[in-house]
Amino acid sequence: MKNKILGVLLLVAMGVAKVPLEDRVAATLKAADLRDAPIPLSLQEAMGQMAFTAALGGLRSLVASITYLRAYVAFEDRDWGRVDSLMTLTTRMQPREAMYWDEAAWHMAYNAATSTQQREDLRAAIRNKDFRDYVLRGLKIVQEGLVYNPNNPKLLVREAEIYRDRLKDPRPAAEAFLLAAKNGAKPFYERMGAYELVKLGEPPDLQQAYEILKRHYDKGFRYPSVLRDLDILERKLNIPVGQRVGQPLPPSPQPRRK
Amino acid sequence: MDAPSPSASPTPAVTVENLTKVFKSGFTKKPLLAVKQLSFEVKAGEVYGLIGPNGCGKSTTMKVMLGLLKATQGRATIFGRDSEEVASRQDVGFLPENPYFYKHLSGRETLNFYGRLCGLRGAELKDRTEAMLELTGLTHAAERRVGGYSKGMLQRVGLGQALIHEPRLLILDEPTAGVDPVGSRRIRDLILELKQRGITIVVTSHLLEQMQEVCDRVGIMSNGRMVSEGKLEELISVENQTELILQDAPPELLAKIRALVQEAGGKSQVVSEGKPRTTLEKLFLQSTTQTGDGE
Amino acid sequence: MSSASTRSAYTSFSPGRIWTMATHTVTQLIRMRILVFMGIISMVIVIAAFAFPAVSPEQQLKLLKDWTFGALQVFFVIIAIAATGLLIPRDLEDRTLYTTLSKPVPRYEYLIGKLLGVMLLLGSGLLLMDLVFSLMLYVKQSLIISSQIAALEKEQAATPENIAFIKDLNSRFGLTYSLHGAVWAIFLKASVVAAVSLLISCFASSTLFTILVGIAFVIAGQGQALLREWFLDKMSGFWQKFLSGAIAVFCPDLTLFDIAEPAIRGEIIPLGVLTEVTGIALLYIVGYTSVAYLFFVEKEL
Ligand SMILES: Nc1ncnc2c1ncn2[C@@H]1O[C@H](COP(=O)(O)OP(=O)(O)O)[C@@H](O)[C@H]1O
Ligand SMILES: [Mg+2]
Repeated sequence: MKNKILGVLLLVAMGVAKVPLEDRVAATLKAADLRDAPIPLSLQEAMGQMAFTAALGGLRSLVASITYLRAYVAFEDRDWGRVDSLMTLTTRMQPREAMYWDEAAWHMAYNAATSTQQREDLRAAIRNKDFRDYVLRGLKIVQEGLVYNPNNPKLLVREAEIYRDRLKDPRPAAEAFLLAAKNGAKPFYERMGAYELVKLGEPPDLQQAYEILKRHYDKGFRYPSVLRDLDILERKLNIPVGQRVGQPLPPSPQPRRK
Repeated sequence: MDAPSPSASPTPAVTVENLTKVFKSGFTKKPLLAVKQLSFEVKAGEVYGLIGPNGCGKSTTMKVMLGLLKATQGRATIFGRDSEEVASRQDVGFLPENPYFYKHLSGRETLNFYGRLCGLRGAELKDRTEAMLELTGLTHAAERRVGGYSKGMLQRVGLGQALIHEPRLLILDEPTAGVDPVGSRRIRDLILELKQRGITIVVTSHLLEQMQEVCDRVGIMSNGRMVSEGKLEELISVENQTELILQDAPPELLAKIRALVQEAGGKSQVVSEGKPRTTLEKLFLQSTTQTGDGE
Repeated sequence: MSSASTRSAYTSFSPGRIWTMATHTVTQLIRMRILVFMGIISMVIVIAAFAFPAVSPEQQLKLLKDWTFGALQVFFVIIAIAATGLLIPRDLEDRTLYTTLSKPVPRYEYLIGKLLGVMLLLGSGLLLMDLVFSLMLYVKQSLIISSQIAALEKEQAATPENIAFIKDLNSRFGLTYSLHGAVWAIFLKASVVAAVSLLISCFASSTLFTILVGIAFVIAGQGQALLREWFLDKMSGFWQKFLSGAIAVFCPDLTLFDIAEPAIRGEIIPLGVLTEVTGIALLYIVGYTSVAYLFFVEKEL
């Protein structure tokens, strides 16, 4: 009996002593950016009890990968509402996973938007409105993703592309491209930003674009599109002829995607 | 492991002093008095039989002797060491009632495992394991999983593991229960052989006649108490009678004997006369040729 | 009795005996077909590696990692609970404990041996699974890199810069040391769960009870941080506080071992973090095992 009492006492003593130590380890994990915010309890209903419990049980990424795959099936069925709600669940479950935000935005701004645009059964006005709604939904998703993953290059590129390709809005597109390049995206995206700046046409933008493209030119990126925009910029910025390197596109341009 | 010298050793092999064991179990927590104020002593080299009906507290007493149960009151010692000390178990081999082993191990692995627990290693471990397989007649089944062994074979594995570390004291709980007469005979022969080698043995049984040929002393328990204790002959011999068994005696000779008894007068008289019957056990032993499981 | 004995004399603590108990436990568990679990996990890994060719390459890598770690997490915690629950209660039910403890084996050695055996099994199982997983991930990653480079070449964009970028990206999302760190953390978690189950099995006497209570502990331990916040913030009732306090005191905080998610994401897990996590796991294991001993030493067999 004595040992049992001792056992209970030890258990309690250890329990009390361990709490500050646990807090310490938790703080270390947090400091190393290895701890995610708890799953919002509001997800419980949307996820179902099983999945919610599993997610609480340290299986978040597994549960998220399953909702992700379900979204993918819905995508193949072109069920856009379902894609949106399942991807929302996925991103809520793992908000730090930029890939999910990126793909969710892409589904909305590209796949859903384009597929409505192609629907013959809708009137043009409605088609256009739906198109825009989906694009804006995609934009909203990627921007929300950026709140959880500040300056994430992947998400910034997605945002820039939505502005450029879907909303035809060069300024935010340029800003997002340049920010992405600054945060580790491929150097290629810096040039994309420059191309958008060229479209804007204001002198400071042109100056910035020129600096970027010239720098890339000097590093050896002498693609036709670089040369073409340098040619435009050099003329608009009155660069002395001796320093000009740009040249207009050749008559039959190379087919190059993107 | 000193050479045994039964009578020279002053410390008794086992002492049980005023042992009382109360079980509190079940939801009602009604206390159950399993052993009451039990005391006895086993000298080194002795074979001591603890007999009594089922449920009288024999196994409980043994478990206290092995530290498996804590005494509520009183204590037990093994070669002078308190039975609660783990070290006291170095000198003891125990065969539990209906022994059961890890069924996924083979007979050899089982003996090997217990040998290791007793500190045996290397060549000695191997030798002892093989010796025990030999002794218990399990060599042929050594590779088979214990899960497939018959009751008799389990009993023999039990004996093997109890003896593997050459203990000075062997505690056997109902070693012959549920074993066929051949196996039972063998176990009794083994007990006698071990006794010759100077090993102290404490054995329980509820079958009295099986014990009488091996035990030096017996204690009879009932309801957790010792009711009678002493040398076997003292306990069972009918002091004022003598048995005489003759072979091929013609009737005339028998008549002469009767006449002699009458002539002698006094209180002597013939109490009974007849043909001795062989016991069923002897008959069984003579007529069966199988010497054990699977052989 | 004549053989001159070379055996070691009895000491009150013998690593040799503990090792005997531990290896015996491993044999026992392996022969109980616990390795079937390893087969199932390997299957999950292989399926996850090749099952979803339609999604993007990065997602394919992520899925492989998600499913592997999900399977490891679930199965190894189950193995820890089930294995431990099958050991002591089974020894009691089958009375094999009598023969073991009637040998000169202190009860703490018996307990430590059992736990060590379970941990050995968990450790070697995880090592094996880590190998299978690493191999699959490496193969997958190489396939993806080569197909991406092929695509670049088709677009005539296979500049050294782009190729380096792809390789860099894939190495971040592919096999990293942090992933092995996450496997280590699963080992720690499963070992802590085994220690808790050991404690439970010392006052329970049935396998089923041990397993059920073990699962309850895992759930509470997993949700501990959340439950604590939840109860303390939202409710002020005495009982809720009492309950959450009790959970905090009696349960290990198993969420401290959940570092697979950031590792999958490509986050680096510093050695210092792993050391701290290992430290707290040791504290749990030693603590719960000591309590288990205090209960077990009085157990009537
Ligand atoms: N672990 C236990 N818990 C409760 N009662 C027990 C326990 N072990 C034995 N008993 C009881 O103690 C008494 C003596 O049992 P036991 O020593 O096994 O008898 P024996 O071996 O002489 O047949 C019995 O009434 C039995 O029911
Ligand atoms: Mg009995």
